[in-house]
Amino acid sequence: MAAEYPALLKPTSRGRRLKADLVVLLAVVATVVALIPLASVFLYIVGQGAGLLRPEFFLEDPPGDLSAAGGGIRNAIAGTLEMTALATLMAVPLGILIAIFDTEVGGRAATGTRFLIDVLAALPSIVVGIFVYSLVVVAQGHFSGFAGSVALAVIMLPLIVVSTEEMLRLIPKPITEGARALGLRRWRTYLSVFIPTALSGIFTGLLLAVSRAVGETAPLLFTALGNNFFTAELSEPMQGMPLLIYRNALNSAYPAARDRAMGAALVLILIVLAFNLLGRWLVARRKPGRGSGR
Amino acid sequence: MAIRIDSAGASGSESNPLGRRRPLNGDVIFKLVAGAAAALTVTLIGLMLLDSVKAAWPAFERFGPDFVTGSRWSPSFTIYGALPFIYGTLLTSAIALLLAVPIALLVALLVTEFLPPRIAQPVAVAVDLLAAVPSVVWGLWGLLVLVPFMRPIERGIAAGPGQFISFLGPPTPGPSYLVAAVIVALMIVPIVAAVSREVFAATPRLQREAVLALGGTRWDVIRRVVLPIGRTGVMAAVLLGLGRAIGETIAVTMVIGNAPRIGPSIFSPGFTLASVIANEFNEATEPLHAEALVGLGVVLLAMAVIVNGAGVAVRRRFERSAERGR
Repeated sequence: MAAEYPALLKPTSRGRRLKADLVVLLAVVATVVALIPLASVFLYIVGQGAGLLRPEFFLEDPPGDLSAAGGGIRNAIAGTLEMTALATLMAVPLGILIAIFDTEVGGRAATGTRFLIDVLAALPSIVVGIFVYSLVVVAQGHFSGFAGSVALAVIMLPLIVVSTEEMLRLIPKPITEGARALGLRRWRTYLSVFIPTALSGIFTGLLLAVSRAVGETAPLLFTALGNNFFTAELSEPMQGMPLLIYRNALNSAYPAARDRAMGAALVLILIVLAFNLLGRWLVARRKPGRGSGR
Repeated sequence: MAIRIDSAGASGSESNPLGRRRPLNGDVIFKLVAGAAAALTVTLIGLMLLDSVKAAWPAFERFGPDFVTGSRWSPSFTIYGALPFIYGTLLTSAIALLLAVPIALLVALLVTEFLPPRIAQPVAVAVDLLAAVPSVVWGLWGLLVLVPFMRPIERGIAAGPGQFISFLGPPTPGPSYLVAAVIVALMIVPIVAAVSREVFAATPRLQREAVLALGGTRWDVIRRVVLPIGRTGVMAAVLLGLGRAIGETIAVTMVIGNAPRIGPSIFSPGFTLASVIANEFNEATEPLHAEALVGLGVVLLAMAVIVNGAGVAVRRRFERSAERGR
């Protein structure tokens, strides 16, 4: 953030001051240019989708035919919630354990896992889809909501590991020493001291990871595949909101498909924003001088 | 792997001041569990990688280097050359960087150098939100808003300089490399801006103030101090943005026009590595077609990991030098 400078000396030449002002102007223009599309996307989706959010939009399944009007996106909302929840259940314990492994065990093995987590974070989401396809879908013999969950978990895992590791690193030394002085064993220290201390930070990382996973389309294409009908069965192909938006958007020549895509996009954006802003707010709240405590 | 964990578990009991070692105390189990989680992840990722390479192998074997250099992709003739998609990925990423990097750097400078903190914070969050919008929503917007918006611009360029440079010439309207690049640019601006922001904010205060004390303007501070010191950091930001651009899938698939050939102009429809996989994989009934698509995934994976790895390495180097400088 901008530091405040004391006005020590006035810049001497007018030309140089003009140049400095010009740079400010340029920077303002660039920022406005970057924010126009953001505003446009929100206004457009809200404008097109707000009128569509009637109760039946959430409570009914879409008609089998994309071009047919009516129905809702119940199957997609349920599928996204179920797959994201399962992905969270897989990624969170694993992610926290890996972060503990990296900080506690250290050494070359930790460097290795850290490298792998970096690779995982760098994977294009479509490649994650192919990976999980070749590991889960081929082995199972069919597309499934479970495979979709695994793909989302792969997306979430590096985000959770990185945020947890950061939180564990930020634990103040006196707390570590206090635990040691009490004669606590390491596992007790983690369970009753470190994890509770870092909990809000870990939770923040989780929120951001969920906000990312909820909006991902590419990893679901060849894993959950999509489904025109409602299912809660994880062994069956499952619909997700991003998948529904994608398929309907590609057929947006039909007004019904276009409307469905808009309504679903609005719901999705609201969910993503809620998670994202909540996570950011938690980060911002604990930043100024409150230490790393709860 | 297992040996490491065991030895680490044993050394962990040093924290027991009495030095008494029970054969299986809580700490050993604790480390074993953490180690098992790490080992499980490593194994799974390794398996996925191996499986994918194995699944792609027939295509690599059949076409050899032609798989990467071949410019014809025709499932109906069972010819699979990835060059049009590699070209599409590189072209869209390059244009996206050209558009995004200057904007992102200016945004980062505005936030760290010019705005007072109270205004800077919301501006930074707003720019970050560009990254929170899901890819498929960008695609939807791109398809219905950006494509029509770009049409007159594309026509104008094609009618002007496009008359002499075929790269900027017709065919014009509709989905194209350029529209895809603009969308990707929007998606990487927040990444480049966020990393650059951290980099600029890490500039030592002393050196900034030295320039100001000599009567320099804030632009002098940026030119003489912030940018030179942050050079490696900005490099890392650009590489991380590039890594993201290479892998961007769904939004690109929706606006690039999906044509499996090397388009002569930036206004031609095309395909990227990621978008051709997204578009064709579910319809690939021929085994070799599916194998070739997985092969594209492996190529994409290699590109993304190299670029991102370089980005992470450069970023670490910057962080280390920044720490030393303080």
